[in-house]
This record gives sequence, structure tokens and C-alpha cells, in this order.
Amino acid sequence: MTLILKLKKKLSAPVSAECISPDTFAGKQESEIAGLTLWEGNRKRQLSEIFEVEGISGSSPSETTIHIKGDLSKTRRIGAGMTEGRIVIQGNGGMHIGEEMKGGTILVEGNAGSWLGSAMKGGVIEVKRNAGDYIGGAHRGSTKGMRGGVIIVHGNAGSEAGSHMRKGLIKIFGDADQFAGIYMKDGTIVVHGNSRGRLGAFMTSGKIVVCGKAESVLPTFSIDKINRKTKIHGDEIAGPFYVFVGDLAEHGNGKLYLSQTENEHLKSVELFL
Amino acid sequence: MNVIRNVTCPICGTLCDDLEVTVKDNVIVDAANTCAISDAKFMNYSNPKHRNLTPLVRKNGELRETSLEEAIKKSAEILVDASYPILYGWSCTSCEAISAGVELAEEIGGVIDNTSTVCHGPSILSIQNVGIPTSTLGQIRHRADLIIYWASDPYSAHPRHMERYTAFSNGRFQKSEWAHYVARLRGILGKKRLSRASELVLMKEAELPVVSGGKLPPKFETDKRKLIVVDVRKTRSAELADFFIQVEPNKDFELIQALRLLVRDEEVETDQVAGVPVSLLEDVADTMIGCDFGVLFFGVGLTMSSGKLQNIDAAIALTRDLNYRTKFVIMPMRGHFNVAGANIVSTWQTGYPFAVDFSQGYPRYNPGETSAVDILSRDEADASLIVASDPVSNFPRRAVENLVKNPLIAIDPVVSPTTAMADVVLPSAFVGIEEGGTAYRMDRVPLPMKKLVDPPQNCLSDREILQRILHHVKRLRAQRGIA
Repeated sequence: MTLILKLKKKLSAPVSAECISPDTFAGKQESEIAGLTLWEGNRKRQLSEIFEVEGISGSSPSETTIHIKGDLSKTRRIGAGMTEGRIVIQGNGGMHIGEEMKGGTILVEGNAGSWLGSAMKGGVIEVKRNAGDYIGGAHRGSTKGMRGGVIIVHGNAGSEAGSHMRKGLIKIFGDADQFAGIYMKDGTIVVHGNSRGRLGAFMTSGKIVVCGKAESVLPTFSIDKINRKTKIHGDEIAGPFYVFVGDLAEHGNGKLYLSQTENEHLKSVELFL
Repeated sequence: MNVIRNVTCPICGTLCDDLEVTVKDNVIVDAANTCAISDAKFMNYSNPKHRNLTPLVRKNGELRETSLEEAIKKSAEILVDASYPILYGWSCTSCEAISAGVELAEEIGGVIDNTSTVCHGPSILSIQNVGIPTSTLGQIRHRADLIIYWASDPYSAHPRHMERYTAFSNGRFQKSEWAHYVARLRGILGKKRLSRASELVLMKEAELPVVSGGKLPPKFETDKRKLIVVDVRKTRSAELADFFIQVEPNKDFELIQALRLLVRDEEVETDQVAGVPVSLLEDVADTMIGCDFGVLFFGVGLTMSSGKLQNIDAAIALTRDLNYRTKFVIMPMRGHFNVAGANIVSTWQTGYPFAVDFSQGYPRYNPGETSAVDILSRDEADASLIVASDPVSNFPRRAVENLVKNPLIAIDPVVSPTTAMADVVLPSAFVGIEEGGTAYRMDRVPLPMKKLVDPPQNCLSDREILQRILHHVKRLRAQRGIA
């Protein structure tokens, strides 16, 4: 069952939209959904004041699909905590999309803001264009980042992707800004493009694969070996890869896989093998 | 003539409290024990060219003089009409005024942020991540035998910091290195004069001073107080230091992480890190481990260069690692005199030190989302109240454009680009000169600010202005039936 939300106006103040979730919408009539409350800045609004509501929702979250149309870059927390169902954002999404989600799927057809899938435990988030900082990260002050699920970004990602990550998979097909996998405890990050470096700072375990160029490797990582290929959740990625171990300043045992052919500037580390 | 002793200086986070100010007929005629910056403030604060003396309201594009009551009413209307107002500034006023500001932010459902968002905000995020092993400045004055200033230039920004608390101070267990540094300073001045003269006579450029070499000087093995400066360029403080380490810009994170490895007796596999030879870093690590009480002061060069809070995470982790081997503390070099107080009052009243969002009625905190520069850059705020700060001259351009296109209220004793662009200007009294209060030093020790002279007519204290605005806001909200 598909429910369509159309943005009525250009948003200015941030809209806290955690009520937009299959778990909240399931089993509700159109009028009930239109009457849900959300915050626009410091004003309380009904959903129908900001969105046109059309269609019907399913009787359970798993049968509910929500399509949202418009520029939603000012919204926050769409799909937060969702367990089942599907959300499609036909435009740009805002911050905290899929925060703490446990299941279901979210598709963003435009760009997504920062804290995409922060502290998520399960489900799949796919972004067709770029995403902001702290993908799959933790809340401020928390050390619990992503604990399961998959995040796929087809464009570029901002800095600190997968910070405090404990489990799950982040795939970035474009470039990643610096500090990808910072404080990582487990899980996997794959960057198909280039990385701005400082990969895996403070990481204690987990795996980061960069198929493009990594601007630099931190001095706290040590070269371990050269691998011909690596496997990510059963899929093989062809190498060869320099394999670094670190972060030694944290007694870490995380692995960095950096493409040998794309990283000529790291050739000097081969002396240590 | 009345000499007021033990005056607290309202300039930087060092908050010197030994000033002696002479007042004659409600005018400050002399100030002793000051640095160049505070002397300039005490002797020139009342210059009418720089002062806001009457309340102003913008009408037809021009700022016009008006009554205080009118300006306060207009401010209250702007704030009640706004759906996402920002209350920013706070670091150059008293804790009492900040407390009134937090109450106002809660009443109007706004975002209250202080200037630490553009200076030591990353330090605060880091302290929340990693914790902080620190001490008071008194401890450092009496005990520290290794002082490191990292990405900070106290000679220019905190002129009496070295004299009162570190290298030049005479502590109970550590003797002052003052005479030594004065001799060195004279030597440097002589060299500079000579090179300038040779430039004029020989018509050629003088050679640049030598920066970090490959080894520490042998005198480092003596047990006197040592001063190391780490910076991207040779600052005045670096010239005074026993040793200066020049780090490549934006590479501090790599350097600190390498030092962490060396402090743990592990190997660094490269020859140099961030432009510094590893052999030198090994010596520095040995010096750090070998001291009895070390202190690392870090400045905005570390918090606002590439890596931001991660630089501080690494610096705090380095201090933590060093504490396995010796006693080491770390302290941020806070800038404005009460920026630490702004964090403390905000934490005491809301639970969060800066970037607190009251829009949903309760305090929320997520720097990056609820911090002033980010909100303004994304054009989300629709009104602003600026207290004792000048964001128009130091925020990014896009943020300033969005700040000034919406209604802007400025409470400030002095004329600034922000007051010039404001829609309502409320003149206030200088805290620490015309108004008393409390301020927190960079080591979080509260000190009383003294009222030395009476403020000009029409200039109320920040606290009283905010309380009057709050009173009008409450009345307006009651009239409009807003809960």
C-alpha cells in the first residue's frame, strides 16, 4: 500500500519529522495521518499543514510504502527508529534519515544530509547522490555507532563515515572525505572512489577498503602484507591491495585495504615487507 | 583619586586579577599591572567614537535614535514573531547575564549558542568523547617543569599567561626562567636590528631564522623549567621558547598520533611526520616522559585546523598515555574572558555547554545541526539576538548574509560591524569596568569582576536589558495566548 506525501511549501526552519515512518503510519486513515503533529522551528504543526497526504497506508508497517516528494533538506529524522516497510524520498533528504532504524528500506533519490543512518541496527538505506558527514555514526557523546544493516551511497560521502561503527556495511561508490572509520570497532566500509585520508583513526577492529587513491595513511598504521583481492560479504573485489594494520596508538587490530595500483605514493612501505 | 586594587581584567581567558586601577571623578586615569591589550581597553573604553550611547532602531533602512523602552519592545516583538531565533555571543559578558539569556532562549524557543562554537567548541566535543586530565593554573605555576604551547601564541593573545602561570612565574617548587628569557629576548631583538640594518645597507633580504632542527639542544637535559612551542609558523612565543617545532599546516593530528606511538615505546615507520624528523620526535617524547609535571596548552590553531575535534581527541589521548609514565595535564587556551563561563552557565542550566536548541521546549544539543554558524549557513534562523559579540566580522560570508537579511538585535557597548548592520541596537555597560559580575578563568575558576565606574546614562547592564526583554516577551506571549 502506498502513501504519497507532497511538500506544500519551501521550508525555512527545520522540521522535525520523526513521525514520517511506516511504523507510525501503518493502520491509520488518511485523516489520522494528516493530523499527526510535527515541529517546524518552535511551532507545532499538523502534518497536513506542511504535506499534502494522498493514498492509503497498509495495515502493518511491512505493507506500507511512503513516497515523499519535494526538497526535504530542512527535515530531520525521517524514518527514525523504523522497523519495517519502505520510504522513498523523491528529492533531497535532510539530516538524521533512518536514525536508529531497525529494519525496512529507505531510498533517497537526491542528496542526503549528515548523520544518515546514525546508530542504526538493521535495514537498508540507499542514497542515489551524495551524503553528508557522520554516515552510520553515533550520537554526540555516544560511542555506539551503526550496529547492523547496510548503507549504500552512490555519490560522495562527507567526513567521519562510519564513526564508532560496531557492525554492518557502508558502501560508498564515490569519494569519501577524511576520517572514514574513525573509532571503528567492527564492521566494513568500502570506498570505491578516493579517500581524503586519515582512514581508521583510533580504530580497534573492522575493515576499510579503498579502491581509489588514499591521500595519506596515518603514522599509527603499519604495513602487514599485499593481498591480491579481498572479499566483502561474499563479493570479491579485485586488488592488489596494501594491507595496513592499526590504529597502533589504540593497540588496534583494524585492517586498511588500499589499492596498490592507485596508491603509487605508498610504494616506499614495500621496503618493510 | 581612588586606587582600586585586585581588579579582574575583562580581556582574555587568563583573567588576571591583580590589576590596580586609579579612578578620578568617575573616570579611569591609570591602570597598573596591565598588558598592552587591557591597558588599551581601560584607557579608551569611554571614547564616545567607539561607544553605543543611545538605543537605535532601523526605520526606512536607517538606524534612528529612540527610547530604551521602544527599543526593548521592538526586540521583544521580533523574538516572539520568530519561529527559529538564534541568541549568540555571551563570552564577553557576566555569568549573570548569560543565565538571563538562557531563560530568554527557553521562553522564546530559540537556539542559544556562545562563541565557543567558533573557537574551542571542538575541545568541548572532545572532552565529552575522551575526558580531560587537567588542573588549575595555580598547580601549573607551582609545579610544572615542562610547558608546551601547541598552536597557540600566548605572547600575542594571552600576554600575561607566561608571566603569571608558566615559564616566567616564580612557583613554590619551580623557579622562574624570567632572567633567562629576557636575555634571550634581547638577543633576538639585537639580531633583528642587525638584520634590518644589513637589509638597508646591503640591499638584500635577511636570512630567515632557523626553525626546528634535527635534535633537541643539549641544555634540555638540565632540570630547569622548559618551554616548547609547536606551531605552523615562528610566532613571538616560539622565539621565546627553549625549543620550537614547526609542524606543516593541517598535519597536527599526524604529529600527535606519532608522538603517542613513541610515548608507548613503539616504532614509527617513516623518517618524518608532518615535516618533523622522527629522531627529533623521539627526543621530544623522551623529554615529555622525563618531566615531573608537564602541561600541554593548546589553542585555536589545533581546534580550527583540519581535523578539528579529532586533533583534540588525539591531544587528550596523548596526555592520557603520558600519565602512565609521568604526571601530565592539558588545558585549552580560552580566548574571551568569560567564554569558559558561557559554557559553564549553559551546562549548569541546560545540561549542554553550547549550541542548545530550545525550539521543542526542552534543551537539545547537536553541534553541526544546532550550532549558530551551521544554522545561519543553511538559512534556517529567522531572527537573531547578538550579545557582546561581533559575528558580522568573523562568521563565514554565507552565514553573515543570512544573519543580516533577517531581523537582528545587537546588545553591545561598542560600535561594531554587527551593530552597524543591526535592526535594533541596545547600548550596554562594559562588564568588569562599569558593571560587576562573575567570570570563569580558562581553568574554570570563578572570579568576581568589579564595577569601577558608573556607566553612561541609557547604558544598562546586559543582564538588566535581557531581563526587560524577557518581561516584555512574557507579556506579549500572554496577550497572544501562546502557552
